[in-house]
Amino acid sequence: MSTYKLYYFNTRGRAEIARLIFIAADQKFEDIRYEHSEWSSHKNEMPLEQMPVLEVDGVKLPQSGAIARFLAKQFHLAGKDNFEQAKVDAVVDTIADAMTQFLPIRFENDETKQIEMVKNFFANELPKHLQNLEVLAKQFGNGGLFFIGNNLTWADLLFYEVTETLLGLNKNALDNHQWLKQNRAEVEKQPRIAEYLKNRPKSQF
Amino acid sequence: MPSYKLTYFNGRGRAEISRLIFAAAGQKYEDIRIEREQWPALKPKTPLGQMPVLEVDGVELPQSAAIARFLAKQFHLAGKDNLEQAEVDAVIDTISDINTAWPASSSDEALKKKFLTEDLAKHLQNLETLGKLYGKGGHFFVGNQLTWADLRFYTFGQTCIEAAPDCLNNFSWLEQNRAEVEKQPKIAEYLKNRPKTSF
Repeated sequence: MSTYKLYYFNTRGRAEIARLIFIAADQKFEDIRYEHSEWSSHKNEMPLEQMPVLEVDGVKLPQSGAIARFLAKQFHLAGKDNFEQAKVDAVVDTIADAMTQFLPIRFENDETKQIEMVKNFFANELPKHLQNLEVLAKQFGNGGLFFIGNNLTWADLLFYEVTETLLGLNKNALDNHQWLKQNRAEVEKQPRIAEYLKNRPKSQF
Repeated sequence: MPSYKLTYFNGRGRAEISRLIFAAAGQKYEDIRIEREQWPALKPKTPLGQMPVLEVDGVELPQSAAIARFLAKQFHLAGKDNLEQAEVDAVIDTISDINTAWPASSSDEALKKKFLTEDLAKHLQNLETLGKLYGKGGHFFVGNQLTWADLRFYTFGQTCIEAAPDCLNNFSWLEQNRAEVEKQPKIAEYLKNRPKTSF
């Protein structure tokens, strides 16, 4: 039985996908959350001086994508064979492409500028990514409510997680995307996820 | 035996990692190279209006990293177990971070200069750190064996060196890693014969 320690800040950010995978898999883990003031004293304990980091049986693994994929594979939430896993990865990469465009907005300090950037993102950038995601779901989803092959995978969990942030900024972001809304609803009602969502700390990001 | 068709521009870009994986594995595939003028007609026929696309027995897969990881796993170049595969993925993601941070060609010269003279070294240091952490004392990034992390760094390294010829001067481990990749017989053969392209 492996032991798992997840290190991150006290927020959803780049670690929440890993937390959701642990929860969906009903797997115990140490959920270590550093406040920003503590972080500087722990920075040099992490391979790339960044978080999240997953410690598995003493081995430290950086990079949120690598961590999430590893956990998903450990707990059979990554796709049932190599090709299905590739389809899951393609959806994950497409979600990541959207969030790469969002990231500069998240860290913009000028509030006026940030409001403009948010408006522009939702009006001009996000729609094509949502369209792409629906295309992939149609091609890979076997007509069901999950992105790939009629089963929950970490692609569904990741989509749920990033849209949590986006919907917090614009509650109408998915109004033209029925399938995507239904996919989120399907994730939300998985019993262990539902329980976790009810009880977890609230955070904007 | 599955049939593989890889479609991309006539350049290295986001497809070369997959071509190197096919080469390292000695695996036949259709290497379709699209000229710029042909692309507008082809674009709406691709899943996401982007390339590369990998077709496996008629099923299309977009996204260069998903494609490369799939092929690496097919041909046992991804890491020998789940944890090693995660270590490989961490190296891949760290290279990806450098690409994300790299200023676009349209950026101003001062920004590009700062990146090449200051920021790039920090990123390369991160890669050496991972190579030393996961490489079991050998020349490859993970577990003393060639994986797609080494092949990815090989192509990435070429881009770095073309932009800043001395970028690896202070990183002897990274230089040795590239040298090790270059001398794998199937890779050496591929590098000798592949089309020379500007990107």
